[in-house]
Amino acid sequence: MKRLTISPPLAAVLLAIVLFLLSGFLPNGFGGNLDVAAAQAVNIVRLSVFLGIIAAGQTLVIISGNEGIDLSTGAVVTLTAILTYTIVNGRNEQVLPALLAVLIVGGMIGLINGAGVAFLNIAPLVMTLGMAGVVSGLILVITQGNVSGAVAPIMTQLIARPVFQGIPGAILIWIVFAALMWLLLERTTYGRHLFAIGTNRTTARLSGIRVTATVIGTYALSGMLAGLGGFLVVGNTGVVHIRIGDPFLFPSIAAVAVGGTLLTGGKGSYFGTMAGALVLTLITSLLTTMQMPESVRRMVLGVTLLVMISIYGRQRGFRQ
Amino acid sequence: MKQSRWQQRTYRHPYLFALILLFVAFTVNLLLQPNLIEPTALNRNMRVFLPLILVAIGQAIVMIGGGIDISVGSIVSVVNALLATQIGLSGDPATAVLIMGVALLVGMGAGALNGLFIAYLRLQPIITTFATSFIYAGLALFILPNPGGGVPPQFTALYRETVVLWLPLAFYIIAALLLAWALVRRTRYGRYLYAVGGKADAAYETGVPVRAVQFSAYVISGLMAALGGIAMTLLTGSGNAQVGDPLTLSSITAAVIGGTPLSGGAGGIAGPIIGAVILGLIRNIISFANVATWWQTFVNAAIIVLALAMPGIINLIRRRNA
Amino acid sequence: MSLLLSARNVAKRYGAVQALVDASLEIGAGETLALIGANGSGKSTLSKVINGVVAPDGGQLLLDGRPVRFESPHAAKDAGISTVFQELSLVPQMTVAENIWLTREPHGRGGLIDLRQERRGTEALLDLFAGTVRPDLTPDTPVSALLPDEKQIVEILKAISVNPRLLILDEATASLDSRQVQRLFELIGQWKAQGTAIIFISHRMTEIEQIADRYSVLRNGQTVGAGAVKDATVDDLVALMAPETAGTVVARRRLSTDLLATRRTVLQVENLQTGVLRGVSLQVHEGELLGIGGLKGQGQRDLLLAIFGGVPYSGRMLLEGKPVRFTHPRQAMNQGVALVPGDRAGEGLLAIRAILENLLVPSWRMYGFPLRMGRACRDAGAIAARLEIKMPGLDAPVSVLSGGNAQKVVIGKWLLRNPRLLLLDDPTKGVDIGAKMEFYRLLTRLCDEGTTVILYSSDDEELVGLCDRVLVMHDGRISSELAGGSLTTANLVAASLGVVHRETS
Repeated sequence: MKRLTISPPLAAVLLAIVLFLLSGFLPNGFGGNLDVAAAQAVNIVRLSVFLGIIAAGQTLVIISGNEGIDLSTGAVVTLTAILTYTIVNGRNEQVLPALLAVLIVGGMIGLINGAGVAFLNIAPLVMTLGMAGVVSGLILVITQGNVSGAVAPIMTQLIARPVFQGIPGAILIWIVFAALMWLLLERTTYGRHLFAIGTNRTTARLSGIRVTATVIGTYALSGMLAGLGGFLVVGNTGVVHIRIGDPFLFPSIAAVAVGGTLLTGGKGSYFGTMAGALVLTLITSLLTTMQMPESVRRMVLGVTLLVMISIYGRQRGFRQ
Repeated sequence: MKQSRWQQRTYRHPYLFALILLFVAFTVNLLLQPNLIEPTALNRNMRVFLPLILVAIGQAIVMIGGGIDISVGSIVSVVNALLATQIGLSGDPATAVLIMGVALLVGMGAGALNGLFIAYLRLQPIITTFATSFIYAGLALFILPNPGGGVPPQFTALYRETVVLWLPLAFYIIAALLLAWALVRRTRYGRYLYAVGGKADAAYETGVPVRAVQFSAYVISGLMAALGGIAMTLLTGSGNAQVGDPLTLSSITAAVIGGTPLSGGAGGIAGPIIGAVILGLIRNIISFANVATWWQTFVNAAIIVLALAMPGIINLIRRRNA
Repeated sequence: MSLLLSARNVAKRYGAVQALVDASLEIGAGETLALIGANGSGKSTLSKVINGVVAPDGGQLLLDGRPVRFESPHAAKDAGISTVFQELSLVPQMTVAENIWLTREPHGRGGLIDLRQERRGTEALLDLFAGTVRPDLTPDTPVSALLPDEKQIVEILKAISVNPRLLILDEATASLDSRQVQRLFELIGQWKAQGTAIIFISHRMTEIEQIADRYSVLRNGQTVGAGAVKDATVDDLVALMAPETAGTVVARRRLSTDLLATRRTVLQVENLQTGVLRGVSLQVHEGELLGIGGLKGQGQRDLLLAIFGGVPYSGRMLLEGKPVRFTHPRQAMNQGVALVPGDRAGEGLLAIRAILENLLVPSWRMYGFPLRMGRACRDAGAIAARLEIKMPGLDAPVSVLSGGNAQKVVIGKWLLRNPRLLLLDDPTKGVDIGAKMEFYRLLTRLCDEGTTVILYSSDDEELVGLCDRVLVMHDGRISSELAGGSLTTANLVAASLGVVHRETS
């Protein structure tokens, strides 16, 4: 198999552009109209923001290695969206407390995940899958089937509406967020330590890195970022329901893989995940425009992920 | 050397700890539901547990070979959708048997796809089966977009009421599988599976056909998931494209509680059987303990997480005391 | 004597590294051929081409004069080629019997494995080494419960149980004690008489002199010489392996114990106990090069790990007079202690990451927030230059480096922090002679500049040539101390085998 020399994030961006151009030729597409094309492009990016931020935590967890993965993301997004909705209840002054609350809740769930993985040696897949069930159960306990509340006007204004030069607030938030993620991964001790433990835990430990603390911190961070995601999602849609976080779980993992982050850990970047989020949002949006049913959407997403990992994710064969 | 003998014992019989859990769960269930040991109650429990038992066995076999299969739940859904639509509520026995045969082939085909990507294209099992789980779930939805369809009542009756020598059908199926596995362990193929799961490089250097063995494990898992799907359909009598979703985590949990290490190379099928029964008993306990409806999901999930954490906690305590 | 196997002009590359360029060898039935070369010369790769584990890029294999291609290890085994692998080909979770008979289980009725016959066969094989192994070594023991020498023996038995025509022994004596080695050589004699050809890959010249008939030398993936063992001296062979270092010898001016006693004590350890150590006490003075010797597996690694905080221990430890208790390497590191671990690739390096990162792994905290990358790159570059690391650039992944240069990176990451106590766990294992010499010079310089060094080495001559004092370990304790005039190779070997010697000044 020929070794690809394009960096995966770049390949993903190119794929996104190709998909977008193709979408122009569909019935509802922009055809040759540049203004419509620009508007649609902005819309796609805006839609990608939420997946992009939710997938940030997944990126960290996957980089941390040891088959790291966070399957509780979807449930945490739902929980924090509902909590935001309930706490804010339409009042602007409750927005910041709500944000703080969901970050703490998400962080605590992540902390439990991290503790199970680091202290009890439970495989991340199993631990986070189990916690997803616990959080889902928690949602039922809290809501008892009914969700009441509302988003605050300032949330809708900052997230869903255009804020600057017609650019929706969500996109600006994402840009700032991406810069912070880059800073975290490339210019902090934590980020350097994260790549180290994802590469080789023994070397990391024998080089003075506190592996357990870093792992737990990473899962806690993943929970917090999922919480932030839930906050933004509800700010965007203005409504919640018990399954609002579900559509984000699978794509969050797919986005990381499409973006070229090694699923074995130790290598990756948030820019790749961003490109992956764009690709996946484009695919989903294309399928919706073509009025494909949910079943086709799922199959296409599954096939996309499979194709991407066939290109980037192949491990060493037995016979070299 | 004490360590060696304990290691020998747990190598041969990894489900010892699970048996203790089983005893505890059974006792609690019995306290809450005194008629548990009566034949009708036993029968009902066994056939409710059977789908998970079948899926968990397939999962354990994949785990022994060093992999994991997150697509099993979706395969169950596909089979259920297939049976519900193709046989229908008014189907005849001949068609039914034919469709069931097709369903088994579909399950094996799904497993073969998994095996192709994992064994021959060398992709990671977790992410590959995660991707295929979405494909198969989509397929199930495609076949059966809305819950409906089903199988004729005489089939569900057959599944429900078949009792030979006071023991339900489910019991004989499990016994047959246990016997079959005992034989497999005594074959070269059985050794191959454990070798590949234990240390694939060493198996390769020794001349074991590693890729073929890994491939076969996923085909078996697909077959067992299909069997589980048939059992599930016979149990519920109706079609629902999402019926298999909870079985994925449950099958992994059942295998892990039953003593199958995720790292591979050890375990058997007694483990997942015991694990699946324990999970079923826990569900019984929750409903008989009059836990409030809204709390049931949470309590069930919390108990599962605790059960998964138990080996880790014990190890931690043992290490502290050493 | 008929020619059994002939390898001609074999080439093999792994990504950017050309492991074999032009390797050839010939072996006949009943002959023992020693395949020798420095590390990285391609010995293991050539043997993996012969036994089918690896597919060659070029060249030819001839079996009984006919060209063959082995598509898999299975094919090579069918052709009668069996291997004792350097990194053992045993499945840890399976028992001794299951491992030995894997793919060749004896069958009874109905296609099922005949467990009794399997057991009897295993016991017969284990008898070959009777008297040299513990009685706990039974067919039902899981391999994970065995000691390294027992595992090695099981690997050997597994290879010989197929009655091969060609047996490849890749560093088969590395974990064996002298009694076991002698038994193995007796068995080799028997196998030779039965016509088995043997390729013997080893670093140990004394063993090669003992059992090999002919030799073949590899250097940088090329065969540079071959001949009869009795016609060549050790110096000839070393010259073929690494011509630029022929004739050099390890030597360092040894510091006397009197002189050392005048300096301050950097480390004092009292009654150190871990799972393996059973009460170790020692002290080291500033600028001293203390050696730790003894047979493998006597606790040397645990001692270094305990001092570094990598393994829990009981006992007292004083660093420059202050009591310390390290529960994590981070604490040791912050007090100026550094450890270069035994398994370079597995414990000392981050293979897929850049050389820059590998050099800075322990030190990121020193660069503030956000990390001052400019300063970090400069510091890393300075260390790389000081150690003369041959590399494409700081951004290259460390996996492209040769063994010796990779080792320099591991040491470099610690030297960046100017440690006062440097611990080394068998650092020159698998490093070629040229790099070893550089390494010795580096150690000497460090000690002259005031760094204290504790060095564990499995190479006795290295210990004798470099160290001021050597503590010999046996069974988790220090059994002997050699210094000054008593520190000779003969005394060291004797001490390793249990003859107690206490230095009297």
